[in-house]
Amino acid sequence: MMTPASAETRARRADLRRGYGFVAPALVWTAAFFALPIAITAVWSLFTRSGRTRDTSLSLANYERFFATPGFLSALVNSLEVAAIVTVVSVLLAYPLAWLIAFRVPARWQRLALILAILPFWTSYIVRSYAWLLVLAPNGVVNQALMATGLVAEPVSIAYSRTATVIGFVHFFTMLAALTIYASLVQINPRLLQAAGDLGASAVQTFWRVTLPLSASGVAVGAFLTFLITIGDYITPQILGGNTDVVLPQLILFQITRRGDIPFAAAMSLVLMVVISVVYILAARRLRMRT
Amino acid sequence: MTTFTAIPARYRALALFTGTTAIAAVLAMAPASAEEINALVWCDHTDDALLEPFTKATGIEVNVKDYEGTGTALTLVDQSQPGDWDVFVVDSTDVKRVVDRGLLAPVDPGLIDMSAIPDAVKAEDLHMVDGKWYAFPEKFGYNAIAYNRDKVSEADMRKAASMWDPKFKGEVAIYDYYLPIISQIAVGLGMNTADFTADDIPAVREKLFEMKKNAKLVSDVVTSQTALATGEVDILVGGGEYAVASLMAEQPELDWVLPAEGGVRWQQAIGVFADSEKKDAAGKFVAYILSPEGQARLATSSCYWGMPANMSAALTDAEKKSLRWDEQPAFIKGSQRYISPSEDLDTKLQDLWTEFLQQ
Amino acid sequence: MTGGKGFARLIAVVAALAAFYVFIYLPVAVLVLFSFHAGTVPVPPFEGPTLEWYAEVLGNGRVTDGIFNSILVGALSSLLAAGLGFLAAYGMARHSPPGSTVIQAAIMMPLTMSYLVIGLGLLILFSSLGFGKSLWLVGIGHVVINLPLCFAIIVSQLGGHQAALERAARDLGASEFQVIARVTVPLIWPALFAAFCLAFTFSWDEFVIAFLLTSFDVTLPVVIWSMLRTGLNPETNAAGTLVFLVSLAVAVAFELAISRRKGTSP
Repeated sequence: MMTPASAETRARRADLRRGYGFVAPALVWTAAFFALPIAITAVWSLFTRSGRTRDTSLSLANYERFFATPGFLSALVNSLEVAAIVTVVSVLLAYPLAWLIAFRVPARWQRLALILAILPFWTSYIVRSYAWLLVLAPNGVVNQALMATGLVAEPVSIAYSRTATVIGFVHFFTMLAALTIYASLVQINPRLLQAAGDLGASAVQTFWRVTLPLSASGVAVGAFLTFLITIGDYITPQILGGNTDVVLPQLILFQITRRGDIPFAAAMSLVLMVVISVVYILAARRLRMRT
Repeated sequence: MTTFTAIPARYRALALFTGTTAIAAVLAMAPASAEEINALVWCDHTDDALLEPFTKATGIEVNVKDYEGTGTALTLVDQSQPGDWDVFVVDSTDVKRVVDRGLLAPVDPGLIDMSAIPDAVKAEDLHMVDGKWYAFPEKFGYNAIAYNRDKVSEADMRKAASMWDPKFKGEVAIYDYYLPIISQIAVGLGMNTADFTADDIPAVREKLFEMKKNAKLVSDVVTSQTALATGEVDILVGGGEYAVASLMAEQPELDWVLPAEGGVRWQQAIGVFADSEKKDAAGKFVAYILSPEGQARLATSSCYWGMPANMSAALTDAEKKSLRWDEQPAFIKGSQRYISPSEDLDTKLQDLWTEFLQQ
Repeated sequence: MTGGKGFARLIAVVAALAAFYVFIYLPVAVLVLFSFHAGTVPVPPFEGPTLEWYAEVLGNGRVTDGIFNSILVGALSSLLAAGLGFLAAYGMARHSPPGSTVIQAAIMMPLTMSYLVIGLGLLILFSSLGFGKSLWLVGIGHVVINLPLCFAIIVSQLGGHQAALERAARDLGASEFQVIARVTVPLIWPALFAAFCLAFTFSWDEFVIAFLLTSFDVTLPVVIWSMLRTGLNPETNAAGTLVFLVSLAVAVAFELAISRRKGTSP
């Protein structure tokens, strides 16, 4: 005869086994096709390529080459600079946009306003970058507008530069960050804002002391996603940057596709991964978004 | 809660639709009965207008994968399984290197009309190894200087030194392919591309980096074309008929010249992979590409135009005029072939190019 | 507050929003406009309109193959991602095994990594295992990137009121499989569908993984990329506009699924 206690333990154990059983497929998939590939990438980054063959003795040669060559290192610096600028500018633009929609657009129009703000998100990422080339061209819309208003006499050269890359990125991430920031703004209890007002806080004070801190998680999530995707993206700088301020992903793809130097690409990819992880850890505390 | 039950049916219908689409798709992926060959090509071989007539005539389907630059092609081959590829379109100057790797099989010169190919293009020294043909020349053109006639003078463009003249700062685009550009600088400096060795690198390097200071962008064919067409740049180093012939109809101010010091001639060749299990079908495709019809379609492909190797190509007079058919003898004389690098020299040149992009 | 001040404020809000929308829609408008451009070079000034490039792009075998492949990869990988995500979410919500936070972090991990790093890792893994590149590998990669998203969406929707119904079903003698199939899944269909749609749009537009892991049969973004590199004409604009329309349709379906859910919850 089983005692009631042991029956309960058994039931609990079966429950646990089932729980793990349900979670297992997702975990196995992530382990096999995410963790394992990265581990293998790390091993391959210690190989070296000499001519056509691969030297599988382990060494740090690829990392030495990366950090000792100013050209490669400058790509990392470019990547960090571009990602930082894009993140800051995108958040600075997205915040007022999200704020306007959340607090100044009547409730029944909010959903529409938000959907309109993120609709172009669904155009092809590649084609959108390329469309910016047409917008920024010497005879494109931007230059024509600038010249019509008399701001400039000659067309300004913007396409094929870091500025163009940044504009292309900022466009995309303003939409994305506006979405995450809006999500955290609408969760703020209106009574809190009212209470601040009742206690004598000015609108500006209420914003700095109440609204901003309470929407910090939305800002953090938007900023992190922006940073993550910007620093790992190849398309936008390749199309808009004109190969003049090369960033890390461009170098990585260059090594993969033209040189066939996979070990070196693996090493650079690991450098990229470490940079992202560091930023993630720094941002992690703020990233918990309430849904 | 009751409305919940109403919804699932609709979504079930949608899911069912998606599911059936997916299953239909999987079934459609099953190998078709028609014979198929896989070709690794430059982008000018990807037009339906070129491939469909061949499939119609022979029943052989051609899958194409396009690449830019031999390095990319070899990387793709390295990442595939033996037997994956059947036909290879490659720069003539790299045929030897590819044969050394054991990638190509000899091809039967009886497949094509050799007499229709001019001697300079035939270049037996490039395409033959140990007395056997490994690839046939199929298309050629020039890496010279394409420019906007309204903005810069032809006289300037005829000087190789204009490529790195600071007075054109910010007006220059450079075609992103190391072999032609390095070759072009070597020719501009009075070198002979056939004798180019690693010792010549420092001199080229200096000019290459000077040129980069002038450059607004370093990019692929289409981006460079766009930059020329939008007026973002006035000069395309490495440009030729392949970059502007298709634009001239709408923008007649775009033109190209060979510098007086000489320009560089690109040449593509087509061969059959040694590991191919469908050498007969591959041979048929090679013969089709070299036929007058195939040559005409290839010469005027949507990706880029170029001179057909076969002089009996079925081109219209207008097309011939755009290609500057009549001036070819002078152009061939005034141009040198690409540097034909060994594996070792190639690595050095690619390293130089990586550094150049990073400048 | 005076009416004049309120009006001025309204104008300011509308003007600010309009400025944002102009910025956001600028490239889309130019893209769509030049898809109707009559010249072969899609550069300003605009000429036209013509539908020529749509005919061209729909007659282009590589594009139609790409669309087909993208739908295939998107549908299968999103089904799998939503399925795996659902199982994991269900396991977490109903059995709450010890170490939940660790498991959750592990499942969410791919969300914090660049697609490039994931794609290169898969390229190295499969090439060292001797697998040739194919759409299947792309699908595997897309499940990796979409699984965390699906999991997150579904886990947030597995609330308590379904648990009560599930318990009732179990008390009436249903097995766990029956409970899931007959109670849980029908109850959270909108969330599953939303997860599927979102995953599909990400897969549909994903470039770098698809670029690294395919050779002949490629997905639409890879086709568009090679069109962009291999021919200057408004066909690319037409293809981009078509992609936009398809994504939009999926996005609207997603939106409907979400609003239905909201509209029906008590």
